[in-house]
Amino acid sequence: MFGFLKGLGVTLRQLPKKKVTLQYPDVRPEWPERFRGVHRFIPELCIVCNQCARICPTSCISLSGTRDANKKMRIDTYDINFDICILCDLCTEVCPTEAVLMSDTFELATYSRDNLYLDMHWLYNNELAYEQRHPDRVPQTAGEAKEGEA
Amino acid sequence: MWHWEANPLNGPAVLGMVIGGVVILILTLLVVMYSIYWQRKLIGWIQWRIGPNRVGPFGLLQTAADVIKLLIKEDVVPEKADRAMFLLAPIIAFVPAFTVLAAIPFSAHHVFTANISIGALFYVALSAITIHGVMLGAWASNNKYSLIGGMRSAAQLISYEIPLGLSIVGVVLMAGSINLNDIVEAQAKSGLWYVIPQILGFIVFMIASTAELSRTPFDLPEAESELVAGYHTEYSGFRFAFFMLTEYVYLFAMAGLFATLYLGGWSGPLLPGWLWFAIKAFLYISFQFWLQATMPRMRVDQLMSFSWKVLLPLALVNIVITAVVKAFV
Amino acid sequence: MSLIDEKDQVRTEEMLLNVGPQHPSTHGVFRLVVKISGETIIDAEPVIGYLHRGTEKLAEDLQYTQIIPYTDRLDYLAAMLNNYALCHTVEEALGLEIPERAEYLRVIAMELNRIASHLLFIGTYLLDLGAMSPFLYVFAERERIIQLFNELCGARLTYNYMRIGGVKWDAPPGWLDKVRAFVPHMREQLKMYDDLITGNEIFLNRVRGIGVYDTETALAYGMSGINLRSTGFDWDLRRKKPYSIYDRFDFEIPVGKNGDCFDRYYLHLLEMRESLKIVEQALDQIPESGPVLGKVPKLIRVPAGEYYSGIEGARGELGFYIVSDGKDKPYRMKIRKPSFLNLQLLPKLLRGQNMANLIAILGAVDIVLGEVDA
Repeated sequence: MFGFLKGLGVTLRQLPKKKVTLQYPDVRPEWPERFRGVHRFIPELCIVCNQCARICPTSCISLSGTRDANKKMRIDTYDINFDICILCDLCTEVCPTEAVLMSDTFELATYSRDNLYLDMHWLYNNELAYEQRHPDRVPQTAGEAKEGEA
Repeated sequence: MWHWEANPLNGPAVLGMVIGGVVILILTLLVVMYSIYWQRKLIGWIQWRIGPNRVGPFGLLQTAADVIKLLIKEDVVPEKADRAMFLLAPIIAFVPAFTVLAAIPFSAHHVFTANISIGALFYVALSAITIHGVMLGAWASNNKYSLIGGMRSAAQLISYEIPLGLSIVGVVLMAGSINLNDIVEAQAKSGLWYVIPQILGFIVFMIASTAELSRTPFDLPEAESELVAGYHTEYSGFRFAFFMLTEYVYLFAMAGLFATLYLGGWSGPLLPGWLWFAIKAFLYISFQFWLQATMPRMRVDQLMSFSWKVLLPLALVNIVITAVVKAFV
Repeated sequence: MSLIDEKDQVRTEEMLLNVGPQHPSTHGVFRLVVKISGETIIDAEPVIGYLHRGTEKLAEDLQYTQIIPYTDRLDYLAAMLNNYALCHTVEEALGLEIPERAEYLRVIAMELNRIASHLLFIGTYLLDLGAMSPFLYVFAERERIIQLFNELCGARLTYNYMRIGGVKWDAPPGWLDKVRAFVPHMREQLKMYDDLITGNEIFLNRVRGIGVYDTETALAYGMSGINLRSTGFDWDLRRKKPYSIYDRFDFEIPVGKNGDCFDRYYLHLLEMRESLKIVEQALDQIPESGPVLGKVPKLIRVPAGEYYSGIEGARGELGFYIVSDGKDKPYRMKIRKPSFLNLQLLPKLLRGQNMANLIAILGAVDIVLGEVDA
C-alpha cells in the first residue's frame, strides 16, 4: 500500500551521495589509451601501401605517394574526410608500420564542413600534440623506426 | 496608513495599498526565483548532479538569466491561433495567482495582509479563475496537444478543488472562522497546530494541493512525455514566462496556505513570526520538490477516480468527525 | 454548424494526432499517427523509416570485416551483441575455431552490454511515465559500463570490438578486476531500483494489466526476447540453442506471467541479475592468458551457400542471414531485427486504449529506431 514511501526514502538517501557531474569545459575527461579519437599520422612511417584506404568501410581516406630517389615510396598527400569517417579503427588495425594511429582528440564540432577535411599536416600536428599530452604513451616503435630510417 | 483595510479610502490608504502591492510583488518574484533555483538544486542533488552553478556564485543568478532570456525572446503568436484570446490567457491565469497572496498572513503584524473575513474562501474562489486562463490559452493555441492538456487541466483542477475546499472546512470548523488571521491566532492560542487534530484533513490537503498545483505525480496537464508541453506548447517568451510564474506563485501561495492552516502560520517559539512562516513555507515547497524527484505520473482516468472515490469521501469523513468532536466534546 | 447531430446527441469529432517524428517519448525518430476520440485511441499507424540507412544493401559492397562497424549502428544500445551476431554467423559458415579467452571476453562484453541496454530501458521507461530520477541513476551506472568498454575497445557506443575469429583486443591489465568490482556494485543498485520503482503504487497502477497479449499472439507476430517471455513462454536462445560458451554457465531465464507492461519492465530487472551472474562466472572461468584471435585467412571468403544464425540480443532474437556466392563480400545480407518484429503488434495493442497508455505500451516494447529502420 505504501510502497511509494520506500521510494521517498530512497531518493532522500541519495542527497549526500557523491556527485557524478563532470564540469566538462573546465575538467576534461580522461580517455583511456585505446580511445578512438581523431587520427594522428606519422608521414615518415608511411609506405603508401594503400591498405587503410582499402579497408575503410566508408572510403573516407584518400592518399597519394611517389617514389623518391632511393626508390622508396613517399607519402605526398593523406586526407581523411571526417564528414564520413566513423572512427571504426580498421585503418590503424591494418597499417603495417603504425603510421596512422588514433589519438584522444575528440572535439570535432566546427562551423564549416570544409574544416572536417583533415590533411596530412593537420594529422601530423595532432600526432605532435598527442606526444606532448602523453609523453608516457609515445610509441617506442615510432622513435626506433625514425632512427632505423636515418 | 498601514491599517488601510479599516480606514476610509483616502490618499494615504491608497498609497499604502500600492506600496503593499509592490512590496509583495517584489517579495513574490524573489521567492519564485529562488524556489526555481532551489528546485533545480535539490532535485539535482537527489539525482547525483550539482544543479545550476554557472551564473553568479553557486548559480544563484541562474533564474534571473533564464527570465531575461525569456523576456527578450520574440513573442510568437501562431498564425492560426485566436489572437486576442491567446494574448489574454496568460494574464487571466496570472492575476488571480498574485491576488490570492493578499489573504495570506505572512507575519504576526499583518502589514501587507488584507484582513479579509472570508480569507480561506477568497483563496479557493480566486484560484479557480486561473483554470479559465489555462483553458483559454489551450483553446486559443489551436494545437491538439494544447487542447488535450487544457482539457485535462480543467478536469483535474475542478475535481481537486472540491477535496481541497472540504479539507479546509475541517480547519475552519476547528478555528470557528474563515479569516486566515483568526485561524492562525486560534492555533497560537491553543498551542496546538491543526496538523495533529486534523491529520486526515492534512493528508487530503497535501494530496489535493499537489494536484491543484499540477505538480508530480499530478503533472498531467503538462505531461511532457505524452503531450509535449500541455497547454503552453505554443507559448514562448514573455507569455510562457507568465504561465511559469503563475505556477510558482501558486506554489508559494499554497505553501503559505498550508503553513497557515495546519502549522500555525507565523506562530512559534523564539524566532520572529515571519521567519517561522518562511520555514514552514520552505518545508512545504521542499516537500513538493522531493516528491517531484521520486514519483512517476498518474494516469488521467485514475487521477479522476482517485479524487472522486478516495479523496472526497475522506474529506467528508474528516468534516463529520471534526463537527461531531466540536459539538459534543 | 450545429453542435447537435441528427440523433440528438452532442456532435463530436475524431482527432488525428501526430505523435512524432519529433516527440519526447518516441525514442528516436518514430512517428505514430493516432486517431483519437477524446482521449481514447481508435486507430494507430506506426510510420517508420526516418533512420533508414540501408545497412543491408551497403553490406553487399563490403568485406565481412568492414560490415562489423555498420552493425554497431543498428541497435546502438547493444553494439557488442550486434557485433557478435554477425561474427558468429560468418564463423559458423567458415567453421572457425575460436580461442577460449576470446570466447570469455566476448561473453563478458556481451552480458555487460545487455545490462547497459536494459538499464537504459528502465531509465527511459520511467522517464516516459513521468519519473525523472531513475533516468539519471541508470545513466550513472551505464556510464560505468561504458567506461569499461571505453578502456576495452576505445569507444563508448560503437564498439567495433569483435572480429571474425575472435576479438580485436585482449583485456587491458586490471580490466577484469574492474569488472569484478562492478558486479556487486551493480547488484546493490538493482536493489535500489527495486525499492524506488517496483513498489511504487502509481507506477504499478500505470503498468499492471496494460498492453496485455498472450503467447499465441506473440508467436504469431514473430516476437522474441522479453516481449515473448513476458507472456510466460520460456524461450531464450542462450538456453534453447546454446551458442558461444553459454552452456557452461549456470543462470536462469526469468519468465513473466501476465504478458503486461509490468512483466516486461520487471523481466528487464531480473535479466540484469542473471547477466551479472554470467559475468561473475565468466570472470572465474576465463583462462589467464592465451590468444584472442584465432587462425583466420587474411581475406575472408565465405563458401557459397546460405547461412543463418541467431543469438539472444538485448531485445530478442537477433539474426544475420547471409547469402554468399563464394566471394569476400556477401551476395545478400538480411538482418532479423527483433525491435522491428516486436513493433508489429503495436497498432493492435493501442486500439481502444487511453492516450496515456500509449506511452506506457510503446515504451515497454523497447524499440531502438536504429534497428527498426536499419
